[in-house]
Amino acid sequence: MSEQVTITLDGVECLVDPGQMLIAAAEQAGTHIPRFCWHPRLKEVGMCRQCFVEVEGPRGVMMVPSCTQPVADGMVVHTKTPAVKKAQEGILEFLLINHPLDCPICDKGGECPLQDQTLSHGPGESRFVEEKRHYVKPIPVSDLVLLDRERCILCARCVRFADEISGDPLIEFADRGNETQVTTFPDQPFSSYFSGNTVQICPVGALTATAYRFRARPWDLREAASVNPGTTAGDSVTIQASRDELIRVLGVDNDATNHGWLDDRSRFGFQWVTSPDRLRRPLVRGADGTFHAASWGEAVATVAEQLRGVIDDHGPGAVAAIGGARGTNEDAYTLARFMRSVIGSPHLDARLDDALGSRFLATLAGRGRIGDLEKARTILLWGPDLKEEHPTLYLRVRRAAQELGATLIVVHPRATGLDDRATHRFTYVPGSGWDTLSALMAGEGEFAAARAALGEGPVVTIVDQTGLVEDPLLAEAVAAFTRDLPGAGVLPLARRANTYGALDMGVAPDLLPGRVPTSGAAIEAWGDADLSEGLDTRGILEAAVAGRVKALLLVGADPLRDVPDADLARRAVEGADFVVAIDCFLTDSSSVADVILPAAGFGEKEGTVTNLEGRVQKVNALVPPPGQARADWSILDDISTRLGRPMGLQSALAISREISAVAPAYRGVTWFLLDWKERDGVVVPTDSGEQPLQYVPVAPADPTPTKSPRGATFALHLSRTLYDDAVLTRQAPALAGLAGGGFAGLNPADVKRIRADQAVTVEGHRLPVIVDPSLAPGTIHVPFNQPGGPLFAAGAVVRVEAVEAEALDA
Amino acid sequence: MTELRVLTARMVEHPTDSHTLERYLATGGYEGARASLTRTRDDLVGLVKESGLIGRGGAGFSAGMKWSFMAPARPSYLVVNGDESEPGTFKDRQLLERDPHQLIDGMIIAAVANEAHHAFVYIRGEYPKPARRLQQAVVEAYTAGYLGPGIFGSDYDLELTVHLGAGAYICGEETALLNSLEGRRGEPRLKPPYFPAAKGLYMLPTIVNNVETISNLPHILTRGVDWFKGLAHGEDTGTFMTSISGHVNKPGNYELPHGLTWRELIFDVAGGIRGGNTLKAWIPGGASAPWFVPDRHLDLEITKNVTDANGSMLGSGAVIVMDDTTDMVAAAERLVRFYAEESCGQCTPCREGTTWLDMILRRILDGAGRAEDKDLLLDVSDNISVGLAWPPRQTTICPLGPSAVSPIMGLVEYFPDEIAAHLATSPLSGAGGAR
Amino acid sequence: MTWSRESLERAEAILQRYPEKRSAVMALLYVAMKEDGYLSDAGMAIVADLTGLTAAQVQSVATFYVMYKTEPKGRYLISVCTSISCFLMGSDELLHAIEDEAGIPAGEADDTIGVEHAECVGACGGAPACLINYELVEGLTPDKGRELVSWLRKALPDVINADEVQALFGGRTSFDWAIKEENGAVGPYPAFPVLGTAAENTSALEPGRG
Ligand SMILES: Cc1cc2nc3c(=O)[nH]c(=O)nc-3n(C[C@H](O)[C@H](O)[C@H](O)COP(=O)(O)O)c2cc1C
Ligand code: SF4
Ligand code: FES
Repeated sequence: MSEQVTITLDGVECLVDPGQMLIAAAEQAGTHIPRFCWHPRLKEVGMCRQCFVEVEGPRGVMMVPSCTQPVADGMVVHTKTPAVKKAQEGILEFLLINHPLDCPICDKGGECPLQDQTLSHGPGESRFVEEKRHYVKPIPVSDLVLLDRERCILCARCVRFADEISGDPLIEFADRGNETQVTTFPDQPFSSYFSGNTVQICPVGALTATAYRFRARPWDLREAASVNPGTTAGDSVTIQASRDELIRVLGVDNDATNHGWLDDRSRFGFQWVTSPDRLRRPLVRGADGTFHAASWGEAVATVAEQLRGVIDDHGPGAVAAIGGARGTNEDAYTLARFMRSVIGSPHLDARLDDALGSRFLATLAGRGRIGDLEKARTILLWGPDLKEEHPTLYLRVRRAAQELGATLIVVHPRATGLDDRATHRFTYVPGSGWDTLSALMAGEGEFAAARAALGEGPVVTIVDQTGLVEDPLLAEAVAAFTRDLPGAGVLPLARRANTYGALDMGVAPDLLPGRVPTSGAAIEAWGDADLSEGLDTRGILEAAVAGRVKALLLVGADPLRDVPDADLARRAVEGADFVVAIDCFLTDSSSVADVILPAAGFGEKEGTVTNLEGRVQKVNALVPPPGQARADWSILDDISTRLGRPMGLQSALAISREISAVAPAYRGVTWFLLDWKERDGVVVPTDSGEQPLQYVPVAPADPTPTKSPRGATFALHLSRTLYDDAVLTRQAPALAGLAGGGFAGLNPADVKRIRADQAVTVEGHRLPVIVDPSLAPGTIHVPFNQPGGPLFAAGAVVRVEAVEAEALDA
Repeated sequence: MTELRVLTARMVEHPTDSHTLERYLATGGYEGARASLTRTRDDLVGLVKESGLIGRGGAGFSAGMKWSFMAPARPSYLVVNGDESEPGTFKDRQLLERDPHQLIDGMIIAAVANEAHHAFVYIRGEYPKPARRLQQAVVEAYTAGYLGPGIFGSDYDLELTVHLGAGAYICGEETALLNSLEGRRGEPRLKPPYFPAAKGLYMLPTIVNNVETISNLPHILTRGVDWFKGLAHGEDTGTFMTSISGHVNKPGNYELPHGLTWRELIFDVAGGIRGGNTLKAWIPGGASAPWFVPDRHLDLEITKNVTDANGSMLGSGAVIVMDDTTDMVAAAERLVRFYAEESCGQCTPCREGTTWLDMILRRILDGAGRAEDKDLLLDVSDNISVGLAWPPRQTTICPLGPSAVSPIMGLVEYFPDEIAAHLATSPLSGAGGAR
Repeated sequence: MTWSRESLERAEAILQRYPEKRSAVMALLYVAMKEDGYLSDAGMAIVADLTGLTAAQVQSVATFYVMYKTEPKGRYLISVCTSISCFLMGSDELLHAIEDEAGIPAGEADDTIGVEHAECVGACGGAPACLINYELVEGLTPDKGRELVSWLRKALPDVINADEVQALFGGRTSFDWAIKEENGAVGPYPAFPVLGTAAENTSALEPGRG
């Protein structure tokens, strides 16, 4: 940031940052200038004209809109003169002449800038005696958003958001002049993944969320700061509750992460927290094979007894844990300590066989930050479709390419949400990515321009498997190449919000808390512990099938739905002798467990989480958990006591202190720091910490040879979508029904070749065909975990057969 | 009073074929364009600056000065404003229909001077005939090699696109026009930062000039700056095209020398008031200009400076004359309605204010006025145009909003009795209610 | 839903005339009107496809401009200028006469005729004036307005040619109309060869007709 400048604001000299508009500078100096159209994350349009101030200039005092006036050193500004007041009141009167007087029944009532302005500055009696504009009200503009055009003050915030930020300009002005109105095209709703943001930034009650309409009044709400549990970006949010019920999630502008934006799944997904299907009491499977509600005492005793039996009979290595990526760091740390020291087993993994190496994810040398995207000259995205899987990060990349002029290179087996902003796009048949990578590295043929762009730093690379069944080593090879590019930063992606935190806490077969490699020095606080390298999720599942792992601990994990090879997951979970699930719901997996322990969820517990950059932030409790549900850490602590090796954990706060003592990368990170000083979070290790392991990716010398698909064999591109059939999405009424459903995408040539006009079977499972010219021939695209879509033994290649016409009729 | 024909000479001398390339060439055509190709940008900009040519689209800004402000980024564009929609104005229509090659000639000069290789003419959608004439001339010019790659055998490429608008007065405002030409809603852009010469079409440097402004260029190039300045009266160089309409005996377009008085223009050039009626008021520079009245303004000289100093403007050169049969409240309403209907709607004071002003005037006309309406008209106006000053201190983004205030000011200042007379018929006015 | 081959070719040529695709939107919207006689939702969707915009964006642009009619306006759209200069010269009486003769209030249309009031059409010197499918007639009177309507109803001309209608119904012009022209309009959208919306009037200047 360059030197600050001095302005005189209502007679007081203030230091403010240069390069911003006066309205923002005044805000920085503590003066709020009324506004409707201006929004710090949208381009200024100066449309509402509410923000007039007077500026002294060479040609006398000028009245200017402060939202379009760049601040300059020495500027003398008046925000409260009679002339300013008259202008602001005049505009307010204009805005009110067509605004209905329905504040008492408006969702925005009580938090409405127009209402506030009117109460403090507005004209008393209206001088407007004519009919107001009338429109049919309200009209749905999407599944989630309603529009009341009579309340709209035409600030264009929603229109600009859709155009500038989310890149889906489906909500627009129509007509002109006094008839201007916001609208969508007939039969083309504003079906944006980001539509909820428009509700949040609408300065009046024109856009309302179906999920929140008439649910609460602002003055009844309590709120707390938290972090979005729906993405790995660590988006800042405010959670709000009315009468102990979570009722709304709002994005908070965090410069480092989400800029205030949220995707709709993140915004409305919290509804699962209030679901009547939440588990409220422990469930224990009785001798008759059915669950009965049990006391905590009974449940914990059962778990301890069973685990003790397995340990005694087969050794601690026969116990394994999967999950932990949905909770807090404090929960995850407890899980790691529980497994390695209480049980004495090194088999634990927060990843669900759908992720890159844990060391790569958690300890990569040269790991970038989201903020690097602001300065990037070139961005290489070789991973999943960000719009589907990392929606808020998607907005940051879109902004970099669209507004900041970065060159964006997208490599993916099919079209992605960022293609319209990509300078270079490459597709390949899954499995042949190695060839694509060598060609890109060599700058051959069509890759020449992209290779040249990669020579222009700073280069930010975002890597992950492009699909769930792609060889994770390919992403490492990409990172190995790009980490040496000028000004390189690499952002490795993973699924599930706190995967990075869980890995940092040691919920991994090859990591100990604080980014320490396994087999490191003993951890004093843990006493006896197995610090060796254990099995990852796939290893655990295979061992369970083979009978080497007898007891499975599932912590907020539903492997039957989450592990790409659903077949393996089913055989493992069903085959284990004893399965205990710590969960919020009866899921496909937990419902085959022997004991289910009800867990506290989002907004119900305090702690920290870590995002994809390694940024640690604080989440807070606002509502009590339902029934007898409890935080994971306290459940595990109870079991440890029952097992005779008590961990003696008192509170999440106490655990956080233990983490900063035990985990070198988290040294110096305290709740106090996060609550009071670093509201945007801190990236670990901070200056007080250290990172013992610095993982340097290397390209494998001879990668798995490409299997070129032929005949009925296709390369599978198994992708995640924003809305799917995951339990947390299903349990949010606003989102239930938004999942697209299962299908098989095929290149038109393949559709012709195998005569699959309507449906195919994939490994024996029938799916409707969608023609997708963006796929290379030989690829089949199947979205994962869709309602009605099959879960099958997904491998790199699958057998695809056309369904005969007669069979279709049947 | 004699007219002074420069831009209109050819069409008067050759009424049936002044639009053809053949006639244009036979009368010295395209010499200016050819000459421009041998000169530097600095040279051409200097020449036009020195000529004193001012824009004829309404804002009255020096053409040469505007060119000199053009930012260095390239490509640059030339856009000719043929949107001509200001009520009372119809001069560009005549120039387009009857001497299109003169415009193309001028455009080549302006394009070369501003290093533009793609030029556009934005013609309002209601002008298909002028657009056809121009398009026909453009085709002739392409065929002759005056447009396209390597014009006149030089290595200078120039494309020319005739673009048709679709019914929006605001697209005459240059930044709205550029938005429109980009395929967007014709909403004016913020100035600053979006001055066309810096960030114009596609955010690149763009010169926007009026049809008449550009049509002057061939004459300046071929006959020289001294000749052009020789036509001057005071600071106003060249000739002056005016469109006269309303209650005069001889409405029409006239190309005149500068320095006439309004009396000469209305009574000599335009043949006086129809049916022997009395002159009541006139609008001196298109519908947005504040009104003039005979007892104060009739003997003023028609120059930019004198008109500005007297609280109005020459604007687009349109003069609308009203005789003593005119109901001034009705006239004001008709003018205000125009701005209310043509408001783009993006800024609050214009969108809401102009409509409200029109509603108030309409209720006064309908015999439903209220005693406070005159003050209300003024206060609403004040919220659009602070202090009701001239030139306006607008609360709006562009000058359209304040344009609706001009008639209100004229009405209240010069014809308060007519407002009172209408109010007297209203039962709501407290004036007794005649009905 | 698609366009005729001719219109698609026309669209291709129009796209070539601009440095950026989006700039062709306005011209393409006229092509869409020519296809359907008015601007249909389907037409807007096609323009969106051609220019890479969303249909909502195209609709937003289209509805800004008054000449894109999203509802049918008949074969002949009569736009009577009622702005200040025409108003001073009796435009309101002209409009009423036309509304009355056509039996159509301003803003509405039957299959044959649409009537609307227009803002200044740039014919102030020949006030009052109107446009028929955007071809100009100047110097009208209420009676001539009525004649115009009944002529349109009876003659059902394929092409509206300004010289012809001016000769039949017009009076004083803003300036000399000495240059004759054969081209004319074929529907309620401007006749411009680049758009493929203009046609030659074979009956031009045969005042006896109808
Ligand atoms: C509301 C409004 C309408 C305008 N309409 C026109 C117009 O129809 N034709 C025109 O040439 N200029 C018009 N102008 C002026 C243009 O913005 C611009 O100043 C002009 O085209 C520049 O050309 P010039 O310098 O040659 O006059 C208008 C300005 C405003 C504010
Ligand atoms: S003053 Fe009127 S026309 Fe100009 S930008 Fe504002 S709303 Fe649009
Ligand atoms: S906030 Fe400045 S004009 Fe709207």
